[in-house]
Amino acid sequence: MEPRSRSFFRNSEKALADASLQAAISRTTGKFVGARAASIEAFPGFEEARREGSRIKKETLDRLDRYLALFISEAEKRGAVVHVARDADEAREIAAGIARQEGVTLAVKSKSMVAEEVDLNGALEAAGVEVVESDLGEFIIQLAGEPPSHLIAPAVHKTREQVSRLFEQKLGEPYTDNIQELVRIARKHLRAKFLSAGMGVSGANFLCADTGSIVMVTNEGNGRMGTVLPRVHLAVASIEKVIPSLADLPVFLRLLPRSATGQPITTYVSVLTGVKRPEDPEGPEKLHILLVDNGRTAILQGKYRDILKCIRCGACLNICPVYQSVGGHAYGWTYPGPMGSVLTPLLAGLAEGAALPNASTLCGACAEVCPVEIPLPRLLLELRADERDQGLKTPEEILGMKGYAAAMGRAGVLEALERIAGVVGRLIFKDGKVPWLPLKFSGWTDKRDFPAPAAQPFRRLWKKQRGIRPWSR
Amino acid sequence: MEPLDRKSELVRRIAVALRGHDGAKTSSGRAAGHAEPCTRADTIALFRDRFEANGGNFIECPSPEAILPALGEALRLSGVAGLFFPEDDAGARQMAEALVPFGPFTLVSSAEALQPSPPQTAGFQTADYAVAETGSIVQTSLGGKTLLPGLLADVHVALVSRAALVDRMDDCMAALADAPPRNISFLSGPSRTADIEQTLTIGAHGPRKMIAVLV
Repeated sequence: MEPRSRSFFRNSEKALADASLQAAISRTTGKFVGARAASIEAFPGFEEARREGSRIKKETLDRLDRYLALFISEAEKRGAVVHVARDADEAREIAAGIARQEGVTLAVKSKSMVAEEVDLNGALEAAGVEVVESDLGEFIIQLAGEPPSHLIAPAVHKTREQVSRLFEQKLGEPYTDNIQELVRIARKHLRAKFLSAGMGVSGANFLCADTGSIVMVTNEGNGRMGTVLPRVHLAVASIEKVIPSLADLPVFLRLLPRSATGQPITTYVSVLTGVKRPEDPEGPEKLHILLVDNGRTAILQGKYRDILKCIRCGACLNICPVYQSVGGHAYGWTYPGPMGSVLTPLLAGLAEGAALPNASTLCGACAEVCPVEIPLPRLLLELRADERDQGLKTPEEILGMKGYAAAMGRAGVLEALERIAGVVGRLIFKDGKVPWLPLKFSGWTDKRDFPAPAAQPFRRLWKKQRGIRPWSR
Repeated sequence: MEPLDRKSELVRRIAVALRGHDGAKTSSGRAAGHAEPCTRADTIALFRDRFEANGGNFIECPSPEAILPALGEALRLSGVAGLFFPEDDAGARQMAEALVPFGPFTLVSSAEALQPSPPQTAGFQTADYAVAETGSIVQTSLGGKTLLPGLLADVHVALVSRAALVDRMDDCMAALADAPPRNISFLSGPSRTADIEQTLTIGAHGPRKMIAVLV
C-alpha cells in the first residue's frame, strides 16, 4: 500500500465532514473503550501481566538476532520454508514466486497488517492468483476496493445498508438490512472458497522462537480454516513478532484480547507448528513463512526501539481523541492512531509521515492503555524534534515554538501576557469567543469557537485563593 | 541471492543494529498472577462460568444416557440433521450413535461434512484439554487427530473428561511445549463477528453453537 500520509490534513477535513463516518467511528471506539475497561476491571492480574508482557517484549527485542535465528532454525526443523524479505519489493517478489512455484490460483487470506503494508495481495494478483479476504470486515472492504480503517475492525466505516448494496452488486444477493443474514451470505460465499483454495495466507500475532510456532488469534474462525484446509500455508510476519517461547504465550493472550475488544480471550487461538505430519488427516503439506524487515532493523538500532513492542491491539487508536475524530483512513497508510503516528514516519520516511507525530494532543491516554507499556507520547515528541533537525519544520513554526518556550519558561512574562490577554479578551470578545485568528492560527477558529482568554487566569485565581501576592512566584 | 544468505544476513544485520545496546538476559516468564481455583469443584465451576460467558453451553452429566434427550432436542432446534465424529474417537462415536434415535439424525462421514453444501451438522470430539481460566476447549492434532468437528460443523459438541480440565493456559502449554503438535487450537465459544456496525453476530465461519459435555 502506497503511503498517503502527506495528505493527513486534507484527509482529516474530509473525515470530519462525513457524518456517517463520524457516527461509525464514535460507535466503535466508544464500544471498544468501554469493553476494554470492563474486562480489565474484572481481571485483577492485568497490571502484572502488562509489566510481564512489556518485559518479555523488551528483552526479546534486545536479543532479536538470537531469537530470530532460533525461530528460523526451529521452524525449518519442523518442515517450514522460511523466507526473508528486506523490503516490500522483496516481500512481493518472494510471495509471487511461492504462488507460482506451488501452482496456486486461488488463495484465502486472513487479516495481516504487514501484508497490507507491503501490498502482498497486489503481488499475488499480478502472479495470477485470486486472493479472497476471509475476515468479514476485510471481505467487505475488498469488495468495496477500499483499505482498512481500523486495526481490528477494518470495515467500521460501513453501514449495514452499504454492505448489503455491495453484496447485491458484487455477489448478486438480494438486499437485506438484517446483519445476521449478511453474515450468513458471507459465510456461504467464503466457505466455498475455503474448500477450493490452494493456499491460505495469514499473518501472525506471535512467533514462538523455541518451537518455531506461528500464533494467530481470530474471532471468526477464518484464520483457523485457512490454515487447516488448503494444501499450502503462507504466513507473513514482520520480524518483531518473535517471543522467546511457547511458555511466554499465555501472558500475551491475557493482554491482547482484553486490550483489543475487551474479551478475556478471542474465540480462536491457533498455534501452528510445522507442516502436516504423516499421521495427520488434514493440514498444509507446505508451510512458507515470510519474515519481513522493511525498515525494522533500522528502528531497532535507534531510540524508537520501543515501538517494535507493539502487539497491534488497537487500544491506543480507540482511546485517542484524534483517531476518535478523524478515523483510520486519514492517516494515509496501514497503521493509524498513535502507534501509526510513530510507525509510519519510521517505516515510510519522516518526510512522508511528518504530519502524524503532530496529530496528537500528547494527552498520554495512549500510553496509559498500551498493554506493553510503549511510551507513545515520548516517541511522538522525539519525532517532532527529529522533524526540526531534518528541516521539516517551517521558520514560522520554529519561531512560534521558541516564543512559546520563552513565555512558558518565565513566570513573570507568562503572567504579564495572561493579564494583557485577559484585558483584550474582555474589551474585544464580549461573547467569550474568538471568531477569527490570522495566518496559521486560523486553524483554531475556522471550524470551531475558540474561547476568549479569561479575565482572571487560573494561576491568578489559585494565588488569590491561597492569599499569595499576585507577582510572587 | 540465495534464501540461506538472506536469513543469515538478516540475523547479522540485526546483531549489528543491536550492538552497543545492552539487553538483560531473557528468561521465559511464567504468566502473571491470576486468581487460582482452589479445588477441583472450583475448577469445574470456573470453567462453566467462563465457557458460558463465551457463549457456549455447558452440560455436566452423571452418565451420557441421562443427557441424550435434552441434547437431542438442542441439536434438533439448531436444525442439525447429520452427526459426525472422528473415526478413532470412541467416546464421540458412542455419543453420536446413541443420539440418532433422538433425532431424526443421520451419521455422516467427515468427507460429507467437507462438501460445499453439507446438511446442517453436529461434530462430536473428545477435547484434549479444557482451560478454566478462559473457558476454552483445546483441540490438537496430536497423534494424527482430526480438527474438522470443531472447524466445519454447525454445532460443535466437545466431550470433556475431568482429567482434561486444567486451571490455566500455562498448564496446557507446559504439557504440549516439548513436542508441540502441528495444530493447537483454543476454541472459546461459537464463531463470531462484530464487523458490521459493531453488532455481535454468531456463526461467521465456524460453529454457530458450541456445547461442552463434562463426562
